[in-house]
Amino acid sequence: MNVEISVILLCFVVAWPLLLAIPALHSRLPRPRHLAIIPAALLAVLPGEASLELPWLFFGAGCAIDGESRWILAMSVAIWFVAAAIIKPSKHDFADQRTTTYFLLTLAGNLGAVLASDLVGFFCFTTLMGYGLYGLLIQSGDEAARRAGRCYLIVLIVADLLLFEALLLAAFVTEDLRFAVVREAMAEASSAQFYLWMAFIGFALKAGVWPAHLWLTAVFSSVSRSTALLLGGVPVAMGLFGAVRWLPIGEHAFGVAAMIIQGIGIAAVLYAMFRFFTQVSVKSLPAWTAVALTGLFIVALGGGLAHPEMWHQYESLAYPVIALVAIFLATLTFIIGRMQGAHQAPAVASQRVETVRRVAEWIEGCQRCAKDRLSGLQSLWHTSWLKATRQYQRIMDGQKPIGLRDEWRVRIILFVLLGLTIAWLAK
Amino acid sequence: MNWNSWLPLLVILSSLLPGLIIFGLAEERIRLRTVLNLAGALVKLALVGWMLWGVYHGHDYEMRLALLPGIELVLRAGPLSLLFVTLSAVLWLVTTVYAIGYLEGSPNRSRFFGFFSLCVTATVGVALSGNLITFLLFYELLTLATYPLIVHRGTETARRAGRTYLAYTVFGGALLLLGTVWLYTLSGTLEFTPQGGFLDGLGDEHRPALMIIFALLIVGFGVKAALVPFHGWLPQAMVAPAPVSALLHAVAVVKAGAFGIVRVVYDVFGVEFAVGLGVLGPLAWLAAITIIYGSLRALFQDDLKRRLAFSTISQVSYIALGVAIAGPIATIGGVVHLVHQGLMKITLFFCAGNLAETLGIHKISEMNGVGRRMPWTMVAFTIGAFGMIGAPPVAGFVTKWYLGLGALEADQAWVILVLAGSSLLNAAYFLPILHRAWFRAPSDAWPEERDFGRKETAWALLLPPVLTAALALAAGLLVMLPFSPLEWAKLIAAQEFYLP
Repeated sequence: MNVEISVILLCFVVAWPLLLAIPALHSRLPRPRHLAIIPAALLAVLPGEASLELPWLFFGAGCAIDGESRWILAMSVAIWFVAAAIIKPSKHDFADQRTTTYFLLTLAGNLGAVLASDLVGFFCFTTLMGYGLYGLLIQSGDEAARRAGRCYLIVLIVADLLLFEALLLAAFVTEDLRFAVVREAMAEASSAQFYLWMAFIGFALKAGVWPAHLWLTAVFSSVSRSTALLLGGVPVAMGLFGAVRWLPIGEHAFGVAAMIIQGIGIAAVLYAMFRFFTQVSVKSLPAWTAVALTGLFIVALGGGLAHPEMWHQYESLAYPVIALVAIFLATLTFIIGRMQGAHQAPAVASQRVETVRRVAEWIEGCQRCAKDRLSGLQSLWHTSWLKATRQYQRIMDGQKPIGLRDEWRVRIILFVLLGLTIAWLAK
Repeated sequence: MNWNSWLPLLVILSSLLPGLIIFGLAEERIRLRTVLNLAGALVKLALVGWMLWGVYHGHDYEMRLALLPGIELVLRAGPLSLLFVTLSAVLWLVTTVYAIGYLEGSPNRSRFFGFFSLCVTATVGVALSGNLITFLLFYELLTLATYPLIVHRGTETARRAGRTYLAYTVFGGALLLLGTVWLYTLSGTLEFTPQGGFLDGLGDEHRPALMIIFALLIVGFGVKAALVPFHGWLPQAMVAPAPVSALLHAVAVVKAGAFGIVRVVYDVFGVEFAVGLGVLGPLAWLAAITIIYGSLRALFQDDLKRRLAFSTISQVSYIALGVAIAGPIATIGGVVHLVHQGLMKITLFFCAGNLAETLGIHKISEMNGVGRRMPWTMVAFTIGAFGMIGAPPVAGFVTKWYLGLGALEADQAWVILVLAGSSLLNAAYFLPILHRAWFRAPSDAWPEERDFGRKETAWALLLPPVLTAALALAAGLLVMLPFSPLEWAKLIAAQEFYLP
């Protein structure tokens, strides 16, 4: 019985928000944004696996709910529900209808991608999701949002082109484009490396993985709270989810490629951590957290590409981890948004988040403690460490802007670390 | 002669007869003219539907009339010709409805609709031609029927555009005639022969001559298909009324040129013979250059119809590219684009016409916030534009999918770069239009706004683009259905490449 209900719900998860996206319809219904999520919410809580095949639709579309996609679906439902609740209705009917339309189109694309059982379906829905999200990103209409939206749009188009090329390669190798079949077929194909890089770069762009993170930081600091809340769950999580589903992980050991991907991941984590602690705009903090977390995830993916047997052991963790990353980012965005709302302060250096202030105070306390207790042991190393700490503390306090020299110093250190890591991994 | 053999002629007569009657009608006989137009279009559609069903089940529809000793006028309905005929019949009906609304109250409507019907007659004749001489006759008739439509407005710009159009197409026609006559002297026949062409028996001694003939035919057809550098007439011809532009870009003229190229490669030379002759490589490069050049030029146009015209130059060459790649999958991509490009481009031109007629908008820079004022028109435009970019699930995605796969199959991976570059450029010149229309604040006043009450525009202007946009979406979404353009293109490819 559960399976039959799940199949019926599968039909409605995407179709219902798509239908509601028509302004003439959603303008006549109460809370259309919440209504649109209901079939997905029911599907997420209903136990059991189900699939739906529609051979007459598109290139033989299919969707399914299984243990893996349920994590992502549940996460998506939670985030979309909160976003639907906190979205502010506009004063103008047209703007409000437009926002609802883009909201519902993005939702439909997101849910469709989560449930897609093949590459074409996933590609189709993420494209819809991407263009819908663009509409949400620039809804405020100010220059910063427009610029960030433009940046996102360019990344989206390039990513879609790369993924389309990967899709062609996959379709050329195997007619069956279901995820598992493609992963297996592409691992042994002569174009495996090319496919791997096309898909990896495509999803890295979509998820905002370093060094393709620029759109993410720009977007986080310019969009409204409800839209920022979606960023972790929509582009970032779906980028990671897509990478796990498309990349031939666990099928074949990709030595050098895996090493490079891990190196990128490590560099992303280090760079994001540095930028996080030197950030003066509090709205950007979730963005740098996202860059760090995606970096960590990329390291794990690289591990899976290098050691297939290890991936088989931990594969089941990938989906809950993606869901947790998205939930964590959404929570962080929500908290920061609330704090900003409470302070009613503009996003400038003076409005630092309370936790950052506490971290700064803690560092200061440690310094005082070190000075008192270790006054006799003030080595050169200790003095320079304190000096550097004070400098970063001043940057965090907003008293001193981050200098180009400091940034370059960190970049060089990161690249040296990256080189050392690669050398160590190669060994 | 049985009933089946009369069908191709009846399809032609279904637009020719109403056209001839309309020429003789007084201007004020609006209702009779409308009835004749719509009745002709509906009868044609019904006859084409009948033939489609028959061809799908293996029936033959052929008619032969002696023209000169040894030369016959042959009308034949096969899978390839019916694909084009169906496109023409469907879009003629839609364009007729649109033209009725568009030209309401304007002068010389009997002349316009007379030539309009003649234009469709010639297009259907081109599609149903069973040999090169019949093709040539209808092809030239098309030139003559289209010229009065381009100069319909009678302005100096329109007349200049008409002169340019005539100069280009007459030049193309002359080359075509030369190539045809030369070909006849070598082969002794001009009968289109699916599955290998009719030149297979010619020896190596004719190789240079055949290469020159191929070049003559391709340039001859390339003029109407707007291959670079023979494209100059097309951006100028956009001064014609919107229904003419729509017909010109989606069904009649450029498609006749592209269809000619398909016929030359498949039914005159044959794919294998053409590959052996080494003429398909240069054709592929010419198509690739046209694709990129057209897109680049489109980027810098502020006039909406001019941007769409350069987009046509780029998009129609996908058909030539698919044919030139020379493989079954690429053939599917090229042939199906005959239909897909037609549906998407006609939508875009209808929308451009709506903007001009309703708000007086001709330039992209005037389109700020137009989505708020004309939402249905802009939804249709958005679907058409996304289709052109190749975004799923609109029809354009299916074309690019098959062209890309065909390129991989034929080991011509460079084509994928061309497709990617073209998609990128398409996005670069279509997305800013959509951004303006949907996200910019509207102007205080439109250039020349007409009042349609609570409606965004007249029904006759609104329904055609909405319908064609829905068809473009359906051609992508319902791609696996038996009578979809893709399935029909697969039938053609199977016939050309002896596939089971």
